[in-house]
Amino acid sequence: MGSHADWRSIGGIATSLLDGNPIAIAITAFIAFGLPVLLHLIFYQTVASPPSSNFLLLGPSGAGKTAFLSLLEAKSSPLAKKQTQLTHTSQTSILTTVSLPASVPTASNRYRSVNDPSLKDTSKNPVKYRVRDTPGHGKIRGPHGISQLSSMSDSKDSKSKLRGVIFTVDTAALSDVEVLRDTASYLYDVLLILQKRALNKGKSSLKVASEIPILVAANKQDLFTALPPGSVREKLEAEIDKIRKFKSKSLMDASVDASMGDGDDDILGSSDAQDTFSFKLLEDEVGVRVDVVGGAVKGDEGSDLGSGVRKWEEWIGQCL
Amino acid sequence: MLEAFEILTTSGVVLWSKSYAPVGAHIINSLINDVFIEEKVQIQAANAAYPVYKKEKYTLKWKKVKEFNLIFVAVYQSLLHLGWIDKLLDNISTLFIDIYKDQLRSTRVRVVEYPFDKYFEQQVKELEDNSAPINSEGVVTGAENKKDPLVSSEHGGPPPPSVPGLIQGPGGRVSRRARKAANAGANVSSGDESIRKGKTPKGGKKMRKWDADGYADEDDGTVLDYSAPADGDEAAAPAVEAVAQDSWGHRTGKGQFVLKDLGDEVHSILENADSEKAKNRATGIVGSGFNAIGGLFRNIVGGKVLTESDLEKPLKAMEDHLLKKNVAREAAVRLCDGVQRELVGKKTGNFQSVDAALRQAMESSLRKILTPTSSLDLLREIDTVTSPTSKQQSPRPYVISIVGVNGVGKSTNLGKICYFLLQNNYRVLIAACDTFRSGAVEQLRVHARNLKELSARENVGQVELYEKGYGKDAANVAKDAVEYGAANKFDVVLIDTAGRRHNDQRLMSSLEKFGKFAKPDKIFMVGEALVGTDSVMQARNFNQAFGTGRNLDGFIISKCDTVGDMVGTLVSMVHATGIPIVFLGVGQHYGDLRGLSVPWAVNLLMK
Repeated sequence: MGSHADWRSIGGIATSLLDGNPIAIAITAFIAFGLPVLLHLIFYQTVASPPSSNFLLLGPSGAGKTAFLSLLEAKSSPLAKKQTQLTHTSQTSILTTVSLPASVPTASNRYRSVNDPSLKDTSKNPVKYRVRDTPGHGKIRGPHGISQLSSMSDSKDSKSKLRGVIFTVDTAALSDVEVLRDTASYLYDVLLILQKRALNKGKSSLKVASEIPILVAANKQDLFTALPPGSVREKLEAEIDKIRKFKSKSLMDASVDASMGDGDDDILGSSDAQDTFSFKLLEDEVGVRVDVVGGAVKGDEGSDLGSGVRKWEEWIGQCL
Repeated sequence: MLEAFEILTTSGVVLWSKSYAPVGAHIINSLINDVFIEEKVQIQAANAAYPVYKKEKYTLKWKKVKEFNLIFVAVYQSLLHLGWIDKLLDNISTLFIDIYKDQLRSTRVRVVEYPFDKYFEQQVKELEDNSAPINSEGVVTGAENKKDPLVSSEHGGPPPPSVPGLIQGPGGRVSRRARKAANAGANVSSGDESIRKGKTPKGGKKMRKWDADGYADEDDGTVLDYSAPADGDEAAAPAVEAVAQDSWGHRTGKGQFVLKDLGDEVHSILENADSEKAKNRATGIVGSGFNAIGGLFRNIVGGKVLTESDLEKPLKAMEDHLLKKNVAREAAVRLCDGVQRELVGKKTGNFQSVDAALRQAMESSLRKILTPTSSLDLLREIDTVTSPTSKQQSPRPYVISIVGVNGVGKSTNLGKICYFLLQNNYRVLIAACDTFRSGAVEQLRVHARNLKELSARENVGQVELYEKGYGKDAANVAKDAVEYGAANKFDVVLIDTAGRRHNDQRLMSSLEKFGKFAKPDKIFMVGEALVGTDSVMQARNFNQAFGTGRNLDGFIISKCDTVGDMVGTLVSMVHATGIPIVFLGVGQHYGDLRGLSVPWAVNLLMK
């Protein structure tokens, strides 16, 4: 009966499938082993889990956030056009995954041996991270930038945990008082949120909070009028110091009388307003690290694409 | 002719762009700032035509495609009236989305290269041909138009990039009249850009002569303007080259083929899109019944694409809600329109009903309208003026003047601001410039006496009253007060003015003189929270009363404690002018002055 199976009737097919027919066994075996592999290929390749390290790009309008982001994107994609992209004022934020160049070391490398084979792997399998670009215009930085920062920095979910904040600054325009003031007040708001977070964590749980460092990316260093990073640092510190002094003196918000009480620790840095503010002091007292590093999104024509942001990428690597 | 065409995402990345002449990035940036973010410019949606935005000498038309978050922007010179721009925007957006649908949906939107140039050029050419029937004079007009660079460079404008356009565009057909209009436009724009009065009449005169003589007066232009010839020649030469490439390049041998194939492809895409549109319209009764059931289901589950009819009812309810909160009708309608424009064509989130989506959108647009572009730190500004860092500026008192309708609480709020400044150890001079209403000076004298006593008790700043009695000209008194303040080393001069009805031309006109004489650093207008629909007109009229180049700097909304949660006046006033709210008056005491907290206001309004 085995070899003369009747393929025309249903009963015949069923019978032949259930007896020891080698074809049936082969098909069954193929399905049994093949299906899981197939499913794995389909689901794991299309929905690769997004990398869990997030960075937030903040900064006033026109500082070069979107340009920086599209540069990173262009670098991490093999068939991108090799030129910096034009950008305009953003209205919405974007989240995108980019990869770190293989030549940039990550902080986790110091736990590896020099001979660790995974170090060599990085050229094939670069470290990926996510960057969220936010609009910097004064009217919409609140709903996008600031609220994004506070939700990401407080989130318990490891998927949306924030590893660092990149605050871009237009160094060429910083000598202008208005721009400096705007930049500094935005940076002040950002630092204030991070300070509150750091202080709250210290109070509520014994676990030391993984602090979120800030990179002040002094952009547009390629321009003639650009201030060097050191001077950017000084200017920002002086301006934040002024803002701090005036904030402590200025009027209360209309919402304050509704919820009296938490008016204490919303001054950046030490509670003693007589001290002059500096990023160093902030790091010592609160634990929020601020680095000011120069760079340029739009480099010289002749040089390699994105050579100006190398230092920033190194900083990002140090946070991973 | 088109200057530039750009396709950008709402996140600010330019996906594809084509420019026939260098157009600064700030042109499109200001479009985004003014129209999309700050909503300064009211968009008057003329039937079916796309909205227009004018900046410097350019006119911008745009189309937004919400599905992909794309904005298509066409930039052309304001002098030209291009009828086919609307059609171009339509066609290009259809084409671009159809061709690059997959790339636009993928995560690599911003990285991929879009070789779109040939499609675009084909479209431009076709539309231009359609709109301007070829006339035998083509070459002649071209030659004539070469003159235009010289003319416009005469007016100090940037090197004229418009030549190819004039040759190709409809300019050829309507040559003389169009150029007349164009030249008039150039004249006006140059006047706008530089208010140097000396130059404008000269330019105008030259212009008139040129017009009267017709276009044969070429030599005149070149001789009179010494810097232009080199410039003009330079600009003209590449322009001619560009024309050759654009319009004739395709007609040679192989080019013809490419063009034709492309044309067919483009047409089939456009026709497909059209027929789909028609189909959507024709689906009719069967489809609509099914859609209705699906729509009900989707309303609960979410993921529904919103249409105008979905939004109609909830929007009406939202408008009523806003009106109940004392928002002026005009502002409420505008807010609802904006929200509708934003929501139509959008998908609701998972398990989000239409109402919730609407609420969220309204909240965010309220927040957007109330948040100032740059926050005002009064103390800082006072410090920069009274003790400037650079040597060039000499210290002078900071002048704040307060205007408003009768009885809104100008003097009271002046007292409150004065108290606040005194707390910060400033020397304040109060100038009584209400020389009209009896008792006004005495009222201020009482305030000054009280404040003096208070500050002496707490050992903080100093205050003095400057008064010149009644019947004098307010502007002169203000000027004297500022001079007195400067001489006696006061930090701040607070000027109280007479209350005036905003629709009384006679009283309002004196404000302009006042603004010129006193030169206030800040002009605050006091408005009461109680006022309803009238707030829009109040804010607008006061904002315009100081003449061109001077606006209000902020609003103080008084009597906020008396209205409870009906704080709609805040929105109405900001909506009318785009000027931020600086202070709120929340009580009867000197200390009852608050800054605006946007989340607080939005909460009250949405409650």
